[in-house]
Amino acid sequence: MTARVERRRAERRGPRREEWPSFALGERLGALEVVICAGSGGVGKTTISASIAMSIAAAQDKRVLVLTVDPARRLATALGLKGIGTDPVVLSQTRLRRAGLPAHGEVVAAQLDMKSAWDRMIERYSPDRKTAQKILNNRFYQRISDSFVGSHEYAAMESLFEIHETGEYDCLVIDTPPSRNALDFLEAPSRLSDYVGARLLSWLAGPSGLGLRAVNFAAAPFIRIADRLLGSELLAEVADFVRQLQQLYGGIQQRAREVYRLLRSPVVGFVVVTTLEPGPFAEAEFFCTKLREFSMPLRAVVVNRMLPDALRDPSGKVAATTLTEDPRVAGWLSTELGQRISADTARALGDHFLMGNALAQRDWRQFSRLAHLGDVAIARVPLFTDDVSQLEGLVRIAGLL
Amino acid sequence: MLSVAVDAKGDLAAALGSHPVGFQPHVVERNISVIELHPEESFQEYLRIYFKVPRFTRLTPLAKVFDFIATGVPGPRDMLVVGKIAYEERRRDGNGRPMWDLIVVDSAASGQALGHLTAPRAMLSLVRGGVIRSQVEWIDRLLRDHARTTLTLCALPEEMPVVEAVELYGELRRQAGIAVDVCFLNRVVTQSVSPAQRKLAEAMVAPEHCDAVQERLGGSPEPLLEAAALIDRLHEAGTRHARALRAKLPIPVIPLALTTTRSGLATSRTIADAVSEALA
Repeated sequence: MTARVERRRAERRGPRREEWPSFALGERLGALEVVICAGSGGVGKTTISASIAMSIAAAQDKRVLVLTVDPARRLATALGLKGIGTDPVVLSQTRLRRAGLPAHGEVVAAQLDMKSAWDRMIERYSPDRKTAQKILNNRFYQRISDSFVGSHEYAAMESLFEIHETGEYDCLVIDTPPSRNALDFLEAPSRLSDYVGARLLSWLAGPSGLGLRAVNFAAAPFIRIADRLLGSELLAEVADFVRQLQQLYGGIQQRAREVYRLLRSPVVGFVVVTTLEPGPFAEAEFFCTKLREFSMPLRAVVVNRMLPDALRDPSGKVAATTLTEDPRVAGWLSTELGQRISADTARALGDHFLMGNALAQRDWRQFSRLAHLGDVAIARVPLFTDDVSQLEGLVRIAGLL
Repeated sequence: MLSVAVDAKGDLAAALGSHPVGFQPHVVERNISVIELHPEESFQEYLRIYFKVPRFTRLTPLAKVFDFIATGVPGPRDMLVVGKIAYEERRRDGNGRPMWDLIVVDSAASGQALGHLTAPRAMLSLVRGGVIRSQVEWIDRLLRDHARTTLTLCALPEEMPVVEAVELYGELRRQAGIAVDVCFLNRVVTQSVSPAQRKLAEAMVAPEHCDAVQERLGGSPEPLLEAAALIDRLHEAGTRHARALRAKLPIPVIPLALTTTRSGLATSRTIADAVSEALA
């Protein structure tokens, strides 16, 4: 067997434990305090987020929290755990080392507890205990804080800021919902601030708490529609909720400003995760553009599930084409190799390569477009055909970042 | 037939060979229309139909308020997604016939999809009166009517998507009461590498033959060995995950072959043929 073949086989097997690479991305991102991973659904974002946390813990003596905001409970699966509850799960150095990670730091995993994040937010910004309790008991509040999809983004951004403020972890790695929702995630602080400060609320609350009857001329059509739409009972509840909420406005607006300052600061970095499939890739490009618009720092792009370079080998393509198109090649191979080779066998082998080649070429065209991002780090994670959801699989990816 | 994209990204329109479409149904093929949902547009349409509120421009203060309700407040946004689809199901043409025979929805990612589908239930627990109560009730009935609404799961042949599909199935049955009839396992490598092909690939790269084979084929045989090994592993993974899904889901699991062509009408037709064949 040639040295080249042996080398390629070794590449396929992956590195042995003593051969782990230098965790370059972990080294680079470990200098940050917050790493926000974003990307389209189905690109392996949770797996990469967990691997980035491990890569940082391997490169530096840091306490790293990986927090998932995605309502689908993928993080536990990615870490090979049965589940992650509201309490963070510690993956100790010993456990990480057993999985093959030469960890200097510690990794902690947590799932966003949306309901309690909302409740804490209300308690924090309420001027007094009585106002907080009134909001917490409001039926409208209880529903929006635990039942609806859009609630996650508001609660997540608040949690991120809250955890960062405690200083309990050296680095937070956030696994966000799919990109379009991740944009909502970025806009959440100002949206919440707009929400609480909106004219709508003044209209609903009524002047000085006089109620819905005492609304101004401009608000009258809106109130009439809202009354017919929701019924007077719910509308009264909404109005009551809004009246209480207005007392929180100052605090929420202040927090929105602080969160924006944090997201644009040098201690934060965004990592966009993508595959080279056209849909997710286009979305990743869109997200990178948005980050620039928001002046938020893009630190790296992780391209997941990349096909091996060998599939783009022009020499291999010529060989495969000969196998599929030359009717006499099977006979020649039978003589040269000393075994009977059917034309079908030769053709099928060529077809396998050509299929892989078509996919790899398509991927490469997409990959080349990342050049326009300039000095942003690009990490490539190869396609793994065995399961990478257990800890050892994540460690393997961490080593490649 | 109406195809509905919940995330307005243009992917669904592109898969049907069309440029990006808007909120109004756009005919892309004979008998096939596509729309992309925008909660703000849904809200305007809703107010126009039920409350005779004229369309307002984005610049008015009222538009700003309505925009915020449609896109920023949890709850209304989810309901506007589900509500628009339910409205299209109820639409009739000039002769009183249903506007659409079938509505196919390209839903949000699994974490969000469950939220959309359970939104009517959550809303019902909140709204006790008003116009919206009866509207949400019929939307909820429509979703739970197994003769009119069904959900198909889509997974990839990887461990996490498979686990997620199984979990989503359970949650949909438990929380939303929605019928789930089939699971598609997409991008499965259907070709396997036979022992004879593997043996040929290995023999071609053996030191005693490699140079001669390279000269005869006009190129190196080594990448072919690598491609065969990869195809073999991908095929094995697809088989394994299909088996796992079949073991855990009491519904048919249909593998769909990985295609090398770009997303577009031709690819969609190929997949449609495969689906038709599998469901026949």
